[in-house]
Amino acid sequence: MIDMPFPDTIRVDAHDKVRGRPIYGADDVRPGLLHAALAVSTIAKGRITGIDTAAAKAVHGVRLVLTHEMMGATKSAGFLMGGGYGFQSLQPMLSPAIAYRGQPIALVAADTLEQAIEAAHLVKASYAEEPFSVTLDAPGVEVVNQADTPLKNFIPEIAAGDADKAFAESPVKIEAVYNCPPQHQNPIELIATVAEWRGGRLTIREGTQNAEAVRHGVATALGIAPDQVEVISPFVGGGFGQKNSLQMQTVLAAVAARETGRPVKLVVPRAGVFHDASFRPASRHRIRLGADRSGRMAAAIHEIDAQTSRHDLFPGEYAATSSRLYGFANFRGVERLVRTDVQTPGYMRAPFEHPACFAMECCVDELAYAAGQDPVALRLANDTDTDAATGLPFSSRHVAECLRRGAELFGWAKRPMAPQSMRGADGSEIGWGVAIGAYPGLATATIARLKVSEDGGALISIGGHEMGQGIRTALGNAISRKLGIPVEKVTAVIGDTRAAPQHLTAGSWGTASAVPAAEDAADAMLKALAELSPGGVANRAPADILKAAGRSSLEVEVQRKAPGQSDAIFGRLRAGLPSIAGPVFDSHVTFSYIAHFVEVVIEPGTRRIRVPRVVSVADCGRVMSPRTAASQVRGGVVWGIGAALREASEVDPRYGGFLNADLAEYVLPVNADIGSIDVAFIDKPDTVFNRSGVKGLGEVSMTGVAPALANAVFHATGRRLRDLPIRIEHLL
Amino acid sequence: MQPFSYTRARTAEDAVRAVAGGGQGARFIAGGTTLYDLMKLNVETPDRVIDISRLKDLDRIETGGRGELVFGALARMSDVAAHPQIVAEYPAISESLWRAASQQLRNMATLGGNLLQRTRCAYFRGGEPFACNKRKPGSGCAAQGGIDRGHALLGGSDACIAVYPGDMAIALVAFDARIDVLGPDGARTIAVEELHREPGATPNVETTLRPGELILRIRVPRTAIGRASTYHKIRDRESYAFALASAAVALDMDGETVRQARIAIGGLATRPWRARAAEQFLAGKTLTPRTTREAGDTALEGAKPGHNNAFRIELGARTVADALMIARQRA
Repeated sequence: MIDMPFPDTIRVDAHDKVRGRPIYGADDVRPGLLHAALAVSTIAKGRITGIDTAAAKAVHGVRLVLTHEMMGATKSAGFLMGGGYGFQSLQPMLSPAIAYRGQPIALVAADTLEQAIEAAHLVKASYAEEPFSVTLDAPGVEVVNQADTPLKNFIPEIAAGDADKAFAESPVKIEAVYNCPPQHQNPIELIATVAEWRGGRLTIREGTQNAEAVRHGVATALGIAPDQVEVISPFVGGGFGQKNSLQMQTVLAAVAARETGRPVKLVVPRAGVFHDASFRPASRHRIRLGADRSGRMAAAIHEIDAQTSRHDLFPGEYAATSSRLYGFANFRGVERLVRTDVQTPGYMRAPFEHPACFAMECCVDELAYAAGQDPVALRLANDTDTDAATGLPFSSRHVAECLRRGAELFGWAKRPMAPQSMRGADGSEIGWGVAIGAYPGLATATIARLKVSEDGGALISIGGHEMGQGIRTALGNAISRKLGIPVEKVTAVIGDTRAAPQHLTAGSWGTASAVPAAEDAADAMLKALAELSPGGVANRAPADILKAAGRSSLEVEVQRKAPGQSDAIFGRLRAGLPSIAGPVFDSHVTFSYIAHFVEVVIEPGTRRIRVPRVVSVADCGRVMSPRTAASQVRGGVVWGIGAALREASEVDPRYGGFLNADLAEYVLPVNADIGSIDVAFIDKPDTVFNRSGVKGLGEVSMTGVAPALANAVFHATGRRLRDLPIRIEHLL
Repeated sequence: MQPFSYTRARTAEDAVRAVAGGGQGARFIAGGTTLYDLMKLNVETPDRVIDISRLKDLDRIETGGRGELVFGALARMSDVAAHPQIVAEYPAISESLWRAASQQLRNMATLGGNLLQRTRCAYFRGGEPFACNKRKPGSGCAAQGGIDRGHALLGGSDACIAVYPGDMAIALVAFDARIDVLGPDGARTIAVEELHREPGATPNVETTLRPGELILRIRVPRTAIGRASTYHKIRDRESYAFALASAAVALDMDGETVRQARIAIGGLATRPWRARAAEQFLAGKTLTPRTTREAGDTALEGAKPGHNNAFRIELGARTVADALMIARQRA
């Protein structure tokens, strides 16, 4: 059965979504609801010396103006990467300290949103300002070598052989520096919370990728028991890592609801999301590649300077992926963190892997030209089955097949090697570029309950969040195939702490964690059904077995660990803490892979860069849902095009914060910027990784797009552009 | 948003009276695509809003007249952009409209409001802590010495380099369009080119409209050169973005020779910018890569670069050159 591809089922929530039926966190309305708005810091660093809320309180309809002086015993829930639950350790409004421009200084709750906004504008603070630094090179930043911090205990430095010696001895050497700007996810669903107390119990409704961390985090912050809190998040309107932990607005809304005795809705406006939630940090990559004259790589050294905040070390894991792209016998990765005065950056889609693949895969293209090798042939010649950093085999790796199939679909064989050798009829320069991408294979512990009923339906309650990727469809396909129940009769309850522990859904581990657990649950169900049915279960619908046995329903519960995890992991899972394994396991290393082929057309006059077509071939193990998987890849490619050509959060070093904090000025691509995107899958299950053969897909699909595009720009123009985004001004 | 009173005007005269008598805090509103946006940012804080969107007959698009086209100030951008006769006879006007904003905005926004769209300068829109002489006279200009990639190269002053963001006005200026305005002291007609002011020392005063004056109509003189026209807009993405550089160009050709050229540029200046020197340069010439490029350079003459925007001098010149070649194909 594992060898059979899954059918191209439509997404189970497609009709509801196009009819606007799903209720997102901020859609919630209930009697007595108050609307909240935030006043934010206009300085980049310092302390509040006074805060005047009289005018705000005088606005008609205002019920509460909350400042740091009124937060009582509220405390920080801690930083997700420091044993806590928050996207950063700093919970705003617990002290007069200001760490970044845009940090909330007051919350206003009022009968209407308009009243709340008006009053928030009337909150006036005075400050004692301090010097600040917001860019990688600014005076006053602090550079921390990650290996000198406790982070090294769970993010080991990547090293193999003697990279410096091998580089020094290589006849062909490439050395280059690549820069990636800060970026913001900008999910269309803003970050938002509806908080309501009933008796001593708190209900939180919001779009989150991590309902369990929100539950435990808000409990920690408020000093109440986690079982007094429930978090309901059936749909997320895009997360992309920005909603991966407790946000600061959740605690503020909960406190405001407690103080007013009324439910409170707090929707952070777009400009606020640029400052009150995480983002992709700026990063700089210095790459040295050494190879023999045929282009066979002997050494790679990847040094990274990545932005973090003053108050947290957001760990860098760039070299963990760049080291796995090829068979580097000698590799050395150096991760440095640069402390700046911003909110703590975080995990924006392919957080490390997009910048790392951009730098490494551009450099590999430079090597291909230095060695006079076709870029696809050079990549094939450097492929490997073994992870140099650990000496372990990869559980599956179909990079070569991705490259070969992609080259064939794209027509790569017709590509002349020389730059500036392809022209359009109007004099446009045409370029073709290739790059690969990779993303770690990760999995989490998962608990699932499965119930079948005499009405023919199945209900699975499981850890997982639907943020657009289609996890309900993947779960439906898995249960449907196992139990012989039509996919539309399978209901998945996810994103709800009342149903099952809700581990963070991120890192492309959602399907690879939930689907094997769902299949375990289905097996347990088949066993339980067999006990009810002495005559056997073959070719009998679960509902028929239940009816014959006089039962209205039957329920089973399973818990599943990732490889190498002990039973203690379920304690962490229930406590809302990260319970993740991979990509290095005892016997193997797991990564997902992709190859992208990109055509660019650059206009002769005004030098606009157009991307008429992309071909992407992904190795994500078994494809659980062909429809949503192809959609994931197209979305990843669009993200890659955005990152390569458009997206950058602008920073004015005189003011701190981010300048282009709205959707008109933060330039995401639009439909008119996207040409054809052809997606293909290897679809070979990786049963070493898990029983379902599933690897991650959502993030790997973005990795490698930006370098393929930059390499295509080189092929079109002969110009190596090493800083993103690549814009008109770089080609005039 | 601070509270405001809302009144729906029944006649243009009523509206003018209400706004003229309402002092500094009174605003007309039609589509609301600029005003509501700035109100939510607390940059505009009117206490009286006079709704003109239902005034009779001001949404007409009249293309039958012999001497001119007349667009009511309340005509929607999307309707004018798609009007078959304008598409065919004045492609520059149609293109300037449908290459602006998004379809949703174009469905709401009116032509009169579009003419008066305020700048997208982030330091203007961002409020505190940014210095902005336009928003808060005398506070300074944060854009100078800041991120000025999108700021004006032409028509700026020490007080302000905010770019005029609109597209349609660029095309209208190229066609010598005029507007009818009604004020407390009566009606008058002015050239669109005279509507917007350079910032000088008072960037907060953006137009030559007098207090309470309302735009009623746009009049575009009939001209045969409309057909050989284009609005060429270069931007960071192909929809929903303001111009890095744009050019409205129209040509009257005598065989291969330019009899008359009209050139106005957008996205580069503090107001719609008619490039007459470039027009004069082209008169009597044939269009070649060299002459079109020289026309582009002439159009950008006097451009003053800041920190991040110097490339738009070159881009502007090339945009003019490409626009001339596009218009040439329509001649």
